[in-house]
Amino acid sequence: MTQARETQPQTHPITVEVVRNAIVAYADEMANALCKAAYNMMIYEVRDYCCGLIDLQGRMISQNRGGLPIFLADLGVAVEDAVARWGLGGFLPGDVLIMNHGETCGQHLNNVVLSCPVFHNGELVAFTANRAHWVDIGGARIGFGSSATTEIFAEGLQMRSLKIYEAGKRNDTLWQIINDNLRFPEAALGDMRAQIASCQLGARRYGELLTRYGRATVEACIARVWDQADAAVRKVVGEIPDGVYSAESFLDNDGRDLETPLKIKVTVRVAGSVMSIDFSEMNPQTNSPINSGRSGGIAGARVAFKALTSPDLDVNEGCFRALEVVLPEGTMLSARPGAALGLWSIALPTVIDTILKALAPALPAKIPAAHKGDMGGCSFYGSTPERGRFLLMNIFGGGWGGRPHEDGEDASVSVCQGDVRNSPVELQEIRYPFIVESHSLRGDSGGAGKHRGGLGVELTYRCLAPCQVNINFERTKLPPWGLAGGGSGGTNYAVIRHADGAPERKVLKGTQIPLKAGDSVAFFTAGGGGYGDPAERARGDLARDVEEGFISSAGKALYTAKAAAGKP
Amino acid sequence: MNIVGVDIGGTFTDLVGCVDGKIVTSKTSTTPADPTRGVAESLTLAHADLPALGEFLHGSTIAINTVLERKGAKTALLTTKGFRDVYAIGRGNRIEAFNLFFHRPKPLVPRHLTFEANERLNAAGEALIPIDLQGVEAIARELGSLGVEAVAVCFLHSYANPAHERAAGEVLRRANPKMFITLSHEILREFREYERTSTTALNAYVGPRVSDYLGTLETYMRAGKFAGGLRMMRSNGGVMSMAQARVQPVSMMESGPVAGMIGAGKLALHLGIARCIGFDMGGTTAKCSLILNGAPAVEEGYVIGDPASGQPMQLPVVDIVEVGTGGGSIAWVDGAGGLHVGPKSAGADPGPACYGKGSLEPVITDADLVLGRVNPHRFLGGGMALDTAAAERAIAAKIGIPLGLPVRECALGIATIADTAMSLAVRAVSVDKGVDPRDTAMIAFGGAGPLHAVAVAREIFIPRVIIPKLPGTFSALGMLMASWRQDFVRTLVGSLDTLDPALAAKIFAELAAEARAQMARDGIAAGGAEFKYFADLRYAGQEHALQIPLRGPDALSGGAAEARAAFHAEHEQRYGQAAAEEKLETVNLRLVLSAARADTIAEDWLAEPWTAEASAPETSRHVYFSDAEKPLKTRILWRPALPAGMTLTGPAVIEEPNSTILIHPGDRVTVTDTGHLVIDIHFPD
Repeated sequence: MTQARETQPQTHPITVEVVRNAIVAYADEMANALCKAAYNMMIYEVRDYCCGLIDLQGRMISQNRGGLPIFLADLGVAVEDAVARWGLGGFLPGDVLIMNHGETCGQHLNNVVLSCPVFHNGELVAFTANRAHWVDIGGARIGFGSSATTEIFAEGLQMRSLKIYEAGKRNDTLWQIINDNLRFPEAALGDMRAQIASCQLGARRYGELLTRYGRATVEACIARVWDQADAAVRKVVGEIPDGVYSAESFLDNDGRDLETPLKIKVTVRVAGSVMSIDFSEMNPQTNSPINSGRSGGIAGARVAFKALTSPDLDVNEGCFRALEVVLPEGTMLSARPGAALGLWSIALPTVIDTILKALAPALPAKIPAAHKGDMGGCSFYGSTPERGRFLLMNIFGGGWGGRPHEDGEDASVSVCQGDVRNSPVELQEIRYPFIVESHSLRGDSGGAGKHRGGLGVELTYRCLAPCQVNINFERTKLPPWGLAGGGSGGTNYAVIRHADGAPERKVLKGTQIPLKAGDSVAFFTAGGGGYGDPAERARGDLARDVEEGFISSAGKALYTAKAAAGKP
Repeated sequence: MNIVGVDIGGTFTDLVGCVDGKIVTSKTSTTPADPTRGVAESLTLAHADLPALGEFLHGSTIAINTVLERKGAKTALLTTKGFRDVYAIGRGNRIEAFNLFFHRPKPLVPRHLTFEANERLNAAGEALIPIDLQGVEAIARELGSLGVEAVAVCFLHSYANPAHERAAGEVLRRANPKMFITLSHEILREFREYERTSTTALNAYVGPRVSDYLGTLETYMRAGKFAGGLRMMRSNGGVMSMAQARVQPVSMMESGPVAGMIGAGKLALHLGIARCIGFDMGGTTAKCSLILNGAPAVEEGYVIGDPASGQPMQLPVVDIVEVGTGGGSIAWVDGAGGLHVGPKSAGADPGPACYGKGSLEPVITDADLVLGRVNPHRFLGGGMALDTAAAERAIAAKIGIPLGLPVRECALGIATIADTAMSLAVRAVSVDKGVDPRDTAMIAFGGAGPLHAVAVAREIFIPRVIIPKLPGTFSALGMLMASWRQDFVRTLVGSLDTLDPALAAKIFAELAAEARAQMARDGIAAGGAEFKYFADLRYAGQEHALQIPLRGPDALSGGAAEARAAFHAEHEQRYGQAAAEEKLETVNLRLVLSAARADTIAEDWLAEPWTAEASAPETSRHVYFSDAEKPLKTRILWRPALPAGMTLTGPAVIEEPNSTILIHPGDRVTVTDTGHLVIDIHFPD
């Protein structure tokens, strides 16, 4: 707790609590208004959005609960850019800004930020903002998983801090440009409407709070909320033994040069109550869309840091003061301007797993084995006479790593995805020309261990009409690793079976693969790594696994003392 | 006619009835092992004679507790081939985004009791693979040999065509007549396989236990020469017959909390309040619900248990938002010096520190006592003296020392934080539906509701609070006013522009036929129920739909202009935007059937002129309101003695046998001619 508080005597602990509850409730209200009115599954099912209140310096006052975990206090750069461009005096009530500039935001261009200035007594006091994943942003990519691009200009329309509304009046030119350059403009414009309404709602609410308590008091309370989060986080970091911890892993390849693995190297330094996460030795940026700007590297570090230090606290600026991120320009987490960013988040699950792995020796009771390690999903697209252009997207769960005290969870979305839901089979079959043939747990995919890794899933689509598919699996060469003697989880892959009798193919990565009616694609997702020596698994748990079919009789052999002894 | 309502809660069994023209009440401890005994005792305490009763209404936590405690039947699940794991996989989501040790819902059926039938329908309900009934026969035999007590059957797309489920159900029922068998289409004809499977499995899982209990209760009642009707309270805010409750117990999960909101709705109608918020604060939680034109909002589905790992239940349920701030919620300080209240509760045993049973954890009731808001000698009708010194010690030790604040300031902080948390919940139920809390009134009840209601309302500028008669047992009273209610749904996804009006009419006709069959089973006279038609609509491309009332079963024909206009207006109201030029889609068609009670005994009592008891002497004591340093000398009044038409201005404390009403300085109270208290809140300019 800093001395600054002495100059802000208004921070009565009770008022602080009132403000703390209120600012998060407003962000949640914004999220509800966005999610319920959204037009694309990336928002209403995948929850690929975040909403929040931002101060004039771009700091996160509060953020909604339940959005995508990797959107961690990263709306600020968009607001900073708007302020730099228009000046603090350059905003009027009724303005709405739109922003997805790759160089500034560091994420793929589908992630579009809308923001509104908030005025109180005629004075600009803050911004409300949200970021949401538009289903399409034009350019060469359709759906997700494309490896086709090598520079940002092929990836769609860029908008840098433009006013889509000025003092309440719509900019029809910009509106028309958006409408004419995107594949599913009705979805994009519908989502934009929902985003704008969400920002305006947040602005109204925050204004009410300022009217009730006064600006100085509210801002002092916010500072206090940050200080409290910071103190709680530092206490946890302080309990981690000081030291330098590092770990390395790698991604399969960049999807274009299939021979070269991509190195993920992290060094974590803990000194007192500060943690530094150093990405200096990360793979250089790639000639593919597997790159992010700095916000990608910062997001990866922050997710790992938050999970370890304050998983229960609401997200705000104070949660990350005790974290330093060392991230020189030019790595694949800090790509230079112009780099393709289409798969900006693909490396993050592995980055986070690797940070956790580095810290496992220091925090043996708090780190699980590696999880499925990718953000897997599928995109099928095409058009039929009855339906017109269609794009089916779905997100897959997989196994999570065994834990120091229990088995890992099955069939769950990655560490980068929180309240992200898979798409119901019945819904997909109502909307799209496919029959799903099976959706099941994948036996034997959980890494062996005293505490077993969770299971991946198997999901098989049969096409009823010709279409194309993007497949983009990761971590197939370096499986989800075990910890403390546990074995690896099964890796991701897909199998394409052709109705015309052509031989079936195993596919790990591919963009725009053509399919005919009757062809099928089976996706198998990774299991989690095991924790602890498999020979120590309780015999009752093992018997139950076999009875339930989670482990086959062949898989059971991994749990005998002999087999386990033979493992490295 | 003599009627009673009995609400079995976790701790207490409450009874409110109308016997020989008089309102009777009783409160007794719940006996979890034999709930029928609690019913019997409450009837005895209220001097309610079984042969003299015309109707018995009942709500119980037995179904929800069976799930929360995982004490249900040995249950099997039958699915479509290839989809055995739908129930275990669920939606794959992690609500607690940063929790590396998260838990997702655990199925109520283990995998080795999950079987696959070889059959498949497409989304249009056409058979791609006809059902293999020989395979089902073999499964049926295996279930018998495994000692399975209940079976849930949920096939893909059975909402569109239930033929395969019916065929499988016949085989299973024939082979194992004693098993409790639930087919998904019998309780929910709506798409989304995981949620439908979960709802079906819940029904099967609680079925045998609930059905046995209801059977025992009915036998007890009949043995006591009870000759009247037995009805169960259900989550949708209505009641159902005992026979239906025994096959569809999943629909009685939230029976108790819902009844209070039904009562609040009736009171709102009596007082002519179009928009109000029901606020019910009990021992462990506070609950609130938006009530428009006398009817609480009903939502499709919720999660039973913890939001991250609970079981989804997709049937209609009165939309109640619950927060973990009840009279017994514990106040605590975190490592960073933040003061919090709840969600952990001290329960009834050991209870608050002031109960003097040795608890050292300060709770909201302790704070209320230290602030002079609660009378230590009149708690629970004087049945339990409260220990103010013990409350002060607990607050000082757990809050005062860590924060470096004096005890009364801590107590005021605890009350304020609880009031803020509740006010955010109350605001959420209104603003989620696009209603401004400033345009509403609050109807407050539950043991602790009247004590905190005014502060909660003030926080979000609700201008008027109403405290009904009998606020402490208001939920049991609400049961006496609930209508018989049935909900029917059928999924129909498609563009409204190209919708075949004949198809919509056919579906509505089928729903109406089902409705009439249920009426016949329950002895509801033809013409005795109201049919309300709805369509879930959305903009093409959206996922979430809004439920739009239709003027009749033919409202979707001829362009459906009225339904479209209603949708755009509702979208604007809820989300602050609409797009009149865009195409609309239907998602589900619904029919809600309700039959109001033949009598209006309880409503009449709500509207009965108020007669005060002989006047009681007014006293005074020091009560702390907004300033922990300066108490205000406050009038203490006895509610039963306040005459109709009386008005007074706060500060004041109004006490009654099972509740305490706190009136803040400047607020103005009026006793209505029917005995309810109306509090007009004074807002400084």
